[in-house]
Amino acid sequence: MASRLSTDSDTVAEAVVRVSGMLEHVFTTIQQTCEQTATLLAHISGQGRRPTSADLAQLQPLLREQLSREAELISGAGFIAEPGLLSDVPAWLEWWQTRADGEVQPMLLDLDPDTSAFSDYTSWDWFALPRTTGQRAVSGPYVDYLCSDEYSLTLAAPVVVDGAFAGVAAADVYLRHFEAGVGPALRRIEGPAFLVNPRGRVTASNTATQLAGSLVRDLDAAAARGEVVLHPCEAIPLVLVTAARASSVQ
Amino acid sequence: MNRLSSAARRAIFAPLDTEARVEAVVRRLGDAISLGLLTDGEQLPGESDLAERLGVSTVSLREALMALRQQGLVTTRRGRGGGTFVRAPVENLHDRLRQRLQAHTTEELRDLSDHYAAVAGGTARLAADRADKHDLEAPSRSLRDFADAVDSAARGRIDGRFHVEIAAAAQSSRLTREEIRFQTEIGPLLCLPFSQAKIHRTADAQHRALFDAIKAGDGLQARTLAEEHVRDAVRHLIELRLDETWQAD
Repeated sequence: MASRLSTDSDTVAEAVVRVSGMLEHVFTTIQQTCEQTATLLAHISGQGRRPTSADLAQLQPLLREQLSREAELISGAGFIAEPGLLSDVPAWLEWWQTRADGEVQPMLLDLDPDTSAFSDYTSWDWFALPRTTGQRAVSGPYVDYLCSDEYSLTLAAPVVVDGAFAGVAAADVYLRHFEAGVGPALRRIEGPAFLVNPRGRVTASNTATQLAGSLVRDLDAAAARGEVVLHPCEAIPLVLVTAARASSVQ
Repeated sequence: MNRLSSAARRAIFAPLDTEARVEAVVRRLGDAISLGLLTDGEQLPGESDLAERLGVSTVSLREALMALRQQGLVTTRRGRGGGTFVRAPVENLHDRLRQRLQAHTTEELRDLSDHYAAVAGGTARLAADRADKHDLEAPSRSLRDFADAVDSAARGRIDGRFHVEIAAAAQSSRLTREEIRFQTEIGPLLCLPFSQAKIHRTADAQHRALFDAIKAGDGLQARTLAEEHVRDAVRHLIELRLDETWQAD
């Protein structure tokens, strides 16, 4: 750890653990979806047929349970099929959301390209990143105008069956819920501190001068000049940025 | 502290008159059907459920449904499997939109244009500040798709998508929702003029200029261009509204 340069190594380390712990917890939930989906799809494939959208309804009890258990953090959960996976529809999201009034509902999207301008979901980071890298991904913060119209993080992981990509399992964390979760730990850090995603987009912050959604450019250069200190959040692709203390900079 | 006179309070909390509420329901449902948000053959919720959702009495709702039946926008079937169903055959879509446009006065359209331009302008300015290269990939695809789109419905859909993507690039969920609300309210009307090749080309050029200003991080230019784009679009609508030959045919 860069304790010599950091403002307060204990509070910084605690914030890093908090961020990483919260999002790893979401990934644990997603892992359940991955496993159950893979088992379901393998079972159907064993019957010598292709899955249909109706088969995916079997994920419903798990997804409902996830949303009620993790209500403070997760607002949407499900499986998004690789186009062409299902025999009855070209594309499908088995996606469940908690509405503002607390009710859990399926999201029914118009995926017909003749009537909907938003029928192709394969370019969204939450789908494209796990598909191209084979790795789990944190996408956002971004305005999710496909599902919730909320400013969100979407965490996603690939579902692979017989070595082939079948789609992604994912969960939505609204940014306000993320901020409520990590805010106290960030505010305990002395001096300005904020989290940025790999593109330099502020995700949460303890200062009004760097608000969520703004872009911070050239952080690596600022770190090289000793103006800020960058703390990776373990295996989560967010970086905690803190101000370097004037006295610590040689 | 309560400074309202008791008479004023009574006026504020007096029930809305029934006629106004019936008219509001006719307009809300009529717009949704004309704009294609409720589709042909779709069954409306039951009368008591619908009345409760809209916050009107069942008496008012029945009057509204009767008016919609007279306009040919819904039909009611009795007995088992009965109910109220949307009547909006695709082949009449253009006529319905035209009727809907004529239901708006030019003053209403002007005011809508002011509101939409304020939102679109502010959104574009923020997008110029906040969008990174990645945020511009989606609107960049929409630019190409819009230029290639052949019919006015597809042009309208992609135009709408482009503007939602710009709002999302501004990183504001409120402004994105507001953009979506405008499109729900007026989107299908705004795409009426897109059937004219010249208007389609102009809109395409305006999209490109707006996109370039956002990409260059020029917030003021982006705001000006977005405002002009909205004003132009609504001006075309007002011209259609005022064009008597178009109304008559």
